[in-house]
Amino acid sequence: MVISLEKVNVFQKKNLILSEVSLTVNKGEFVYLIGKTGSGKSSLLKALYGELKINQGSGYIAGFDLTKLKSKQIPYLRRKLGIVFQDFQLLSDRTVRENLLFVLKATGWTDKQKMDDRIQETLAMVGLSTKGFKMPHELSGGEQQRVVIARALLNHPDVILADEPSGNLDPETTREIMALLHDITKTGTAAIMATHNYSLIENFPGRIIRCETGRVFSQN
Amino acid sequence: MVIFARFNIGMSSDGSKMAQRALRSSYVSTVVSTSLVLFIAGVLAVLILNAKKVSDYFKENILISFVMKSQAGEDEIKKFAEELSAHPAVKTVTIISREEAAEKLSKELGEDFVTFLGSNPLLPSVDVNIKADYAEKDSIRALVNHFSKNPLVMEARYDETLTEALASNIKKISLIILAFGSLLFFIMMVLINNTIRLTLYAKRFLIKSMQLVGATRSFIRWPFVLRGILSGIYGAIIANVLLVVLLYFLQKHLADIFGLQDVVFMLTLFAIVLITGVLISGISTWFAVNRYLRKSFDELF
Repeated sequence: MVISLEKVNVFQKKNLILSEVSLTVNKGEFVYLIGKTGSGKSSLLKALYGELKINQGSGYIAGFDLTKLKSKQIPYLRRKLGIVFQDFQLLSDRTVRENLLFVLKATGWTDKQKMDDRIQETLAMVGLSTKGFKMPHELSGGEQQRVVIARALLNHPDVILADEPSGNLDPETTREIMALLHDITKTGTAAIMATHNYSLIENFPGRIIRCETGRVFSQN
Repeated sequence: MVIFARFNIGMSSDGSKMAQRALRSSYVSTVVSTSLVLFIAGVLAVLILNAKKVSDYFKENILISFVMKSQAGEDEIKKFAEELSAHPAVKTVTIISREEAAEKLSKELGEDFVTFLGSNPLLPSVDVNIKADYAEKDSIRALVNHFSKNPLVMEARYDETLTEALASNIKKISLIILAFGSLLFFIMMVLINNTIRLTLYAKRFLIKSMQLVGATRSFIRWPFVLRGILSGIYGAIIANVLLVVLLYFLQKHLADIFGLQDVVFMLTLFAIVLITGVLISGISTWFAVNRYLRKSFDELF
């Protein structure tokens, strides 16, 4: 189990967003998080990467106790996670390679050769081995999103948290991104993806978790 | 889920270039406003470091004239002048003979009154400038009383009210300069702080993204702070150049007050400006980055 939540309450400031959330996700599982706008999908993901506080119950992700998470620990938790959010862009002031290099340096890598190798490896995984020298704004939307996924994969995360990763991409690119995420779960990384694009679920099967009026319902 | 148009992944390259240009120009404006506040700080430092010189200049302009009796001979006057020079309060002594006094007055009147009168009615005098440390009422009075006892002295002339006015005015003026300078300095600090905060405001999402990939706060912070310090150094260099120009003109036109500045003074000044620059921009950057590090994502909009 990489994620286990047991009767957890999620707060944003002092507002209760989700109550009594219970949820488990296993290694290599692909999980869809569905629900209407404002139903708390994003908040649940935010709670999982330590942006929102939870209290009550017990919550573990990638070996971290979310109920006792200190702000100093948050960076180390995030190194175990790959976060693919629409609002979280590439660093617009540097090239794709430098974006990935920043992540490696920030997470404690020092060997230049190893860093270069890892960058090349992940860029190849997302099919962008030749685009490392480009600035983010020189890439198409789909390419940028693939770089974001590459960035999420750099540190061999236990879980990928994706919030509407194909939000404003065309259907063809969306399929590519989905296939990529699906392939990644085969290596043992779990993925949780918030979406309201139900057609994706038909093409790429996975467990479904529904958020509804402040509650979370797990199917199966 | 809310999708913000301005964070569209397919942001046009035009927009991005504009954003980059905006970032660069905000960096330049940080350096420029830093250099301006540092220039003000430097001028303040020049005034403070030279405050003694400036007030001494005015104090040592106080003149005491000992008017000698007509029967005093040249040698006796010389002896009296030597006695005066030996006194610790006296800075310079000038003997003005009858002829010199007549010449001076003729020049002032624009008329040769000696030939007109047929004789020179003026008396010789000994003019004394006193040291700045003794330029207050009591010391001057004591000095005058002491030397007026000499039977050759007819009278001592000096402007007592001027000395009093001078002392209180110097106090007032230095207070005003200090108050104005501090006010100006404070205003400029606020401006620099705001400029830096705006520069970083433009980077708030960048900072958030850095946090999301697992970078620690200090890892994110130091490049920004380093850059802030660098802009402080650039600002200090510009300010120092401006100060050198200012000092050059002060020396040229107010040589009496701002005489040749020594090397120690210049180095002290440059160091003050540089340290102030590094501190102001480094500290404001530190706080501004922390501000965005602490904010949650939703608070950024």
